[in-house]
Amino acid sequence: MVYASLLSNRYLTTRVIPLIAVLAVALNVALVVIVVSVMTGFLDMLRNSGRTLMGDVVVSHEIVGIPHYQRFLEILAETDGVTAASPVIETFGLVRMPYGREGESRVEPVQVWGIDPRTLAEVTGYTEAIYWKAPDPDRLAGMAEDDPRREAASDRLDEAMSLNDEGAAPAMVLGIEISPFNRRTRDGSYRPEPPAAWMPLHDVTLSLVPVSSGGRISEPREGRFQIANEFQSKVYQVDSQRVMIGLAEAQRLLRMAEGPLYDPNGELDEDGRPKRIGTSPARATTILVRGVDGMAPAEIKMRVATAYDRFLAEVRDDPEAKVKPPSFPDIQTWEERLRDLIAPVEKERDLMNVLFSIIYIVSAGLVLSIFWAIVHEKSRDIGILRAVGASRLGVLWIFLRWGLVLGVIGAFVGLGIGALVVDNINAIHDAMGDPAPGWSVAVAAALAAAALAATIVAAVRGSLMHGLVWSLTTVLLGLVAFGLSRHEGAVMWDPSVYYFDRIPSRVDLWRAGLTMIGAVVFSLLGAAIPAAKAADVDPVRALRYE
Amino acid sequence: MSDGSRTPPLLEAVEVRKTYQLGATEVPVLHGASLEVRGGEWLSVMGSSGSGKSTLLHILGGLDRADRGRGEVRFEGASIARFGNRDLDRYRNRTVGFVFQFYHLLPELSVLENAMLPGLVGRVPFAWRQERSALMSQASDLLERFGLAHRLRHRPRELSGGERQRVAIARALMNRPRVLLADEPTGNLDSRTGGEILDLLAEEHRRGLGIVMVTHDASIAERADRTLWLRDGRVVEDS
Ligand SMILES: Nc1ncnc2c1ncn2[C@@H]1O[C@H](COP(=O)(O)OP(=O)(O)OP(=O)(O)O)[C@@H](O)[C@H]1O
Ligand SMILES: [Mg+2]
Repeated sequence: MVYASLLSNRYLTTRVIPLIAVLAVALNVALVVIVVSVMTGFLDMLRNSGRTLMGDVVVSHEIVGIPHYQRFLEILAETDGVTAASPVIETFGLVRMPYGREGESRVEPVQVWGIDPRTLAEVTGYTEAIYWKAPDPDRLAGMAEDDPRREAASDRLDEAMSLNDEGAAPAMVLGIEISPFNRRTRDGSYRPEPPAAWMPLHDVTLSLVPVSSGGRISEPREGRFQIANEFQSKVYQVDSQRVMIGLAEAQRLLRMAEGPLYDPNGELDEDGRPKRIGTSPARATTILVRGVDGMAPAEIKMRVATAYDRFLAEVRDDPEAKVKPPSFPDIQTWEERLRDLIAPVEKERDLMNVLFSIIYIVSAGLVLSIFWAIVHEKSRDIGILRAVGASRLGVLWIFLRWGLVLGVIGAFVGLGIGALVVDNINAIHDAMGDPAPGWSVAVAAALAAAALAATIVAAVRGSLMHGLVWSLTTVLLGLVAFGLSRHEGAVMWDPSVYYFDRIPSRVDLWRAGLTMIGAVVFSLLGAAIPAAKAADVDPVRALRYE
Repeated sequence: MSDGSRTPPLLEAVEVRKTYQLGATEVPVLHGASLEVRGGEWLSVMGSSGSGKSTLLHILGGLDRADRGRGEVRFEGASIARFGNRDLDRYRNRTVGFVFQFYHLLPELSVLENAMLPGLVGRVPFAWRQERSALMSQASDLLERFGLAHRLRHRPRELSGGERQRVAIARALMNRPRVLLADEPTGNLDSRTGGEILDLLAEEHRRGLGIVMVTHDASIAERADRTLWLRDGRVVEDS
């Protein structure tokens, strides 16, 4: 229907008011693209961090631990699809920090990971997370002049990769956010302030509470550790709570190392001491497993579960092994592990989508009312079209197509705006965190002055409408200039709330596409009723009078 | 009325009735109006204001439907009341051409596009590319003939009344209809301009176009082959 295309194109280019609908649709799409992209990016970051923090699959048996875990590791090493596995002891403890008022010291509750750094580095991003290391030329290029990492030097730093486990001076690695003296700067790097508070120069005391394989708590035990280094996983909750020590050291403090096993029935031997009936095996609470790249986590999980069954059977058949591993440890993919974190965000994102659909209804209403007025105004033209043989369907299509084009333009403009904002969201956020620069105030003020001049011109010419429009613009720009001059900076993305130190900045194209389709559909729906009214126009009535 | 010829007239109204419903009251406008237009014949229809001339013209052109019942409009012997929507649209597009007192051009389209409009109706974009230039030259030939060669790209509002009416006639003739239905085509023009428009219609009539022209003005009606009167909802011949 050539005439319908011709007319709807012509209406599109000759009328300004419907462009308001385009603007509404565009802003709506931009809003959804920004919010949903940030939320999806946030979820992606959670997922990625999950993998770099704990590999693909986690086998754990909290507190009591998994005895004979070394055998399980051997079986895992032979399992297809598993590339690495690392034993960990997860527990909680208290660290007496090297700072605080004289005579007293600060005690921080921390999450303690007893790790084997070498295998942990194979499973997770442990090596990359170590913060203080002698920078290579590549990294140097990206560092600020006064980044302390340029100078960072301590004999201890490399101990992060050994933790001096079973050595004379056991070492600890702290999350970078634990020390309140680590100041985070705008470029994301940390500066110890004062420099003397640089953690790798200090020692700490760690207290842990051992729990026997039977689940009984015994006396807390203390150990002295050198701080070898700090790590940054980029997940705030981890960086602000977790410390790493050697696995053997953790086992020693928690009495989870290999040792004599006494008769649990309390029978005494000839010397009147508890009767030793064998060896209590070393235990680890958690095994982190990394699978082949690209294999689905669920598939890796299945293979790990099979491996665990083999391990169980092997230990059961071993008469020497008096302590048996748990039959049903938690075997979870990282996704399942982070379920508590991920699920609410996913729900929120869906909720957002629903809420924004309501805004779509508003923009559909806008299209509807604008089109309604236009169809009313154009009813004579519709009569003419009918008189020269246009069908009702053709008339309907003129307005539907117009609404469609408005929706499509709005959707793409919105995608453009949204993508621009999402791409630069961190820069925008940083800029908002600063007082507004002088030039922005000057520009806004100059624009306000120009609008004022236009107001005066309109007043002189006696145009009420232009005068009103320009005076409103003057007031608006004046408010913007005033607001900018008073703006002192605001931080909306607080890493302690959102886990990550940067706002995700990748457009979620799939959901952006959905929202664009939604925008087009709602524009069409808004246009449909006026279009149907147009098709219903009685040509005789429409043509009767001038 | 019939002069003995056996071929059916080109267009005829037979006992057409039209009643408007105004709330509960019925307003009968036409009750048994009959007329015949032979091929290439020019008819004038006169009558007092409100006598139903425009209504009759709209019914003849398939824009309005007559009351159901005995009366009907036939084109070449076929009742247009039996046409479906599609055929009726096509009838308005191809068979008849409307000219109105107030020109009724589309303000967003140029003169050329206005004249081409009936040519665009019924065309699908796929075949459009090949037909486009043929239609454009056909429309511009018509406009040229009407002395509007220099106005093709103008908007209707930039034209005088007489020029606008010529564009409207070009539009009505675009698809080479058999009958032109003109409702007071000179009613809004001064007599000199109106005369020019009538000359133009006379020229088309000479080329074989059938015309039904509604007018209030007896001197204008004279230009037609025959003049009919609409009185009390019926057509009476004035001879
Ligand atoms: N939609 C309608 N509802 C009710 N009455 C109508 C309607 N349309 C037309 N009429 C009436 O029908 C009658 C005929 O109208 P019509 O326009 O055909 O007259 P006309 O002969 O063309 O008059 P004029 O010379 O003033 O143009 C008038 O009395 C008019 O009021
Ligand atoms: Mg009339």
